[in-house]
Amino acid sequence: MKRSSWTDYQKDIADDNYYYARSCIRQNFFPGSEKVFLDILSKDLGRNIFDDPLHTSCTGIGYHSDVVPLETIMTVVARQFALMSEAGYENFTSSCITSFGIYTELLNTWEEFPETEERTRENLYKATGREFKIPKNLSHTSDVIFHHREEIARKAVRKLVNVHTGEPLRVVEHIGCHYAKIFPKKGVGGSEFPYVLAGMVESWGGEIVDYPERRHCCGFGFRNYLVQANRGYSVANSHKKLESMAPFKPDFIVCNCPGCTMFLDKWQYTIAEMEGTTYGQNGQGIPVLSYEEMAGLVLGYDPWVLGMQMHQVDVEPLLDKLGVEYDPSAKYLGRNGKYIGRPERAIVNSCSEDTLYKIRR
Amino acid sequence: MAKYFDMLLEDVRLREGLTACMNCGVCTAVCPAAAFYNYDPRQIVCMVQTRDDATIEALLKSETIWYCGECMSCRPRCPRGNTPAYVIQALRTLSQKLGFFVESEKGRQQLALKRAIGDNILRTGYCLTPRNIRPELHPEQGTVWKWIIDNDEQIYGQFTSVYGKEGAGALRKCSDETMEEIHKIFEVTGGKEFFDAIEQHSDRKAREMGFDGANEEYFMEVYTRNSNEHY
Amino acid sequence: MKHVIIIGGGIAGMQCACTLAEKGIATTIIEKDSDLGGKIRSWHVLFPTFTPADQVLSAVRHRLAKAESVTIKTGCEAVKITPKCVTLSTGEELTCDAVVIATGFTLFDARLKEEYGYGIYDNVVTSVDLEQMFNKGEVRLTSGLTPRRIAILHCVGSRDEKVCQRHCSKVCCVTGVKQAIELKKMFPAADVFNFYMDIRMFGPGYEEMYREAQLMHNVHFVRGRISEVSPTIDGRLQIKAEDTLTGRPLKMGIDMLVLLIGMRSNDMNPTLEAESGLKCQPSGFMQPKDSFLGNVESPIEGIFYAGAVTAPKNIGESINEGTAAALAAAEWINK
Repeated sequence: MKRSSWTDYQKDIADDNYYYARSCIRQNFFPGSEKVFLDILSKDLGRNIFDDPLHTSCTGIGYHSDVVPLETIMTVVARQFALMSEAGYENFTSSCITSFGIYTELLNTWEEFPETEERTRENLYKATGREFKIPKNLSHTSDVIFHHREEIARKAVRKLVNVHTGEPLRVVEHIGCHYAKIFPKKGVGGSEFPYVLAGMVESWGGEIVDYPERRHCCGFGFRNYLVQANRGYSVANSHKKLESMAPFKPDFIVCNCPGCTMFLDKWQYTIAEMEGTTYGQNGQGIPVLSYEEMAGLVLGYDPWVLGMQMHQVDVEPLLDKLGVEYDPSAKYLGRNGKYIGRPERAIVNSCSEDTLYKIRR
Repeated sequence: MAKYFDMLLEDVRLREGLTACMNCGVCTAVCPAAAFYNYDPRQIVCMVQTRDDATIEALLKSETIWYCGECMSCRPRCPRGNTPAYVIQALRTLSQKLGFFVESEKGRQQLALKRAIGDNILRTGYCLTPRNIRPELHPEQGTVWKWIIDNDEQIYGQFTSVYGKEGAGALRKCSDETMEEIHKIFEVTGGKEFFDAIEQHSDRKAREMGFDGANEEYFMEVYTRNSNEHY
Repeated sequence: MKHVIIIGGGIAGMQCACTLAEKGIATTIIEKDSDLGGKIRSWHVLFPTFTPADQVLSAVRHRLAKAESVTIKTGCEAVKITPKCVTLSTGEELTCDAVVIATGFTLFDARLKEEYGYGIYDNVVTSVDLEQMFNKGEVRLTSGLTPRRIAILHCVGSRDEKVCQRHCSKVCCVTGVKQAIELKKMFPAADVFNFYMDIRMFGPGYEEMYREAQLMHNVHFVRGRISEVSPTIDGRLQIKAEDTLTGRPLKMGIDMLVLLIGMRSNDMNPTLEAESGLKCQPSGFMQPKDSFLGNVESPIEGIFYAGAVTAPKNIGESINEGTAAALAAAEWINK
């Protein structure tokens, strides 16, 4: 893609000493991604990052479901900032796009309507006795990986290249609406041609695929997924994206936002079961990765250590293209190799059953 | 009289989200809700800017304000610097404060959201936790998710040492002190009051609809009911 | 002999020089390009009469060539202006008895509207690019094929707070209709769509041309602004808009998108304000002394304005202002 404008949207991303805020959705569906993010930062890159046991959800999903009032979420966010200052940090990094959107929006609201910040300070003090400082630097965790992408490239054990053909892998990036659509200047590359994931993919040898519905929402839509009666909205919008990208034959999808990662994975299962349609090559689904998983694979982490067995769409076809050595029989094992049964097979699980595994069963 | 418009103006999101709309339609053009429902965010903004009480009251009781997914795709495009989704957020908040939300099928779902997400925040400190994404209510989550829930400690245990326990890490239990602070924040900032209002208005409506109050049966009704008249 | 310096050698400045010469006043035209003529040199035919732009420019050039005591200085800019002296970018100082500023406008840079992919996607062109294609006599897609479905988008860089251009550029609506007719004449089988918010047909014959576009050429008009453009697998473009008259979102595959780029205030205007004590309007265009009684006068006596330096204007209006500024300057000199 001839992307010319991303350099106009450079943002400051702190180099070290981060206060880490976890994501409700990411820790639920991709706990391996959160773990490997911390490992990459501290072990591979030698950076200091603090995983605080005191912070909570930002309540963003409640806010965007319109049950948590603005004043309440402002105060919860203020508490997170207070915890950061108390721990001696100034650089806040959030594992969640919804949260990142909330933080950028509230910081802007406080600036534009100073009375709301005043009120928040009073509320926080009244409720918890805490006081907060505005973070010096606010980033999403993908910004942090983007910031270190060249260092990761130098330490990489493999590139995003098909080992059989030598061709760069074709990657669809999905940014997540709240990363830059709320404040385009707060996201690397802006809202129209975001570069945060594209930059990683390009640095690590892959190739970005542009397609008609690239900027379209994954279909989460908060209440539109969370309430069963509304889920048609959610699957219809994911369906629209998948239909639009499929002709471009991407090797995998990489997502910025934990929700999008989950939806683009799970709705492929639903669509396959409902209609028999699959979007990948050879009747398989398109593997959907978090950027932490993508970074982890590039750095040589084991896919099951990355938690890729928690995906519904099989990732093995991608692992094979990348030339990743993995133990198929270890995929669905519990702690310390304990046999815990395996998920029921679905259409998007196209990988052959492992014989060893069958014997154990 | 612009009683409702004045009430909306108290919400900073309306002040930020609505200056003047010239009906160009760039918001509706990319709106995922407009692609799915019979929905047009431009028209909502246009109705709100009439400042007319009857028009806004009808909106507050309507289905249409509940279609938006708050993805904010409308925000970066508007040539007048409006954010239709912010206008929606302000309308939804006012609709709940005034108890008008129970007058529509999609509005009544706020009870389900309050109980599923809101109560979970007050119980756990998180919007969602593995065990409240129950496979029987979430068939779309697939077979792997069912396997995960059936073996949660075995699976999460590989990635976090504090699954359901206190300490640093994924899916840890928030300490009692932390939860006390969260509860205090909800009390001080009107979050609890807002939750209670959703319950009370829902209870009133549930009785009106022949339920024995806003019980589990009513919850399942609002959670699953789709009249299919939204498209 | 009295001497007036005219800054800007576009159509307004040239007309101004002709009129002053006819009144026996010497002029110097300061032009930053290497040739006179300004923006009109790039246009193909002019609305609503389809008169070749070159014909209008040649007529003025011809008059100017015959005029006496006209000095033309190209390739230089004025950096500081007083009624009695103009300092050039070369450091040269020219004395005079009055100054007319006819520096015109700057074209909006379509790349700033990133959602339309200008400079990124093939076959997204501006109205100025299209005029140049018309001048070459060939409109082709990057593939070499002829377009079968073309969308023309109004208000690109006009009426848009996101790019700090709140004003209406006035001439784009009629340009869009004119270009649609030209395209239909070239490609009768093609579908041509104008995406507009308001069709502002302010001049004589414009509304009639709009009607003709619909009646004679079957040009389609959709009331809605295009929200985004993206590439399709078969090398076409997908656009999204709302048809606001039916209230439904609209998605369409097209071969070519024409962006009707607006008139921005001249990039030099802030310098005029800072160095010469003149005033800009909130739109960035220069503020005339009075919008009714002093349209071609600046707040500084002895400095006059002509053409699009004060607001978006069409060719006829710019030529008229060239005349009006010349008369006002002459009157002031002889006072």
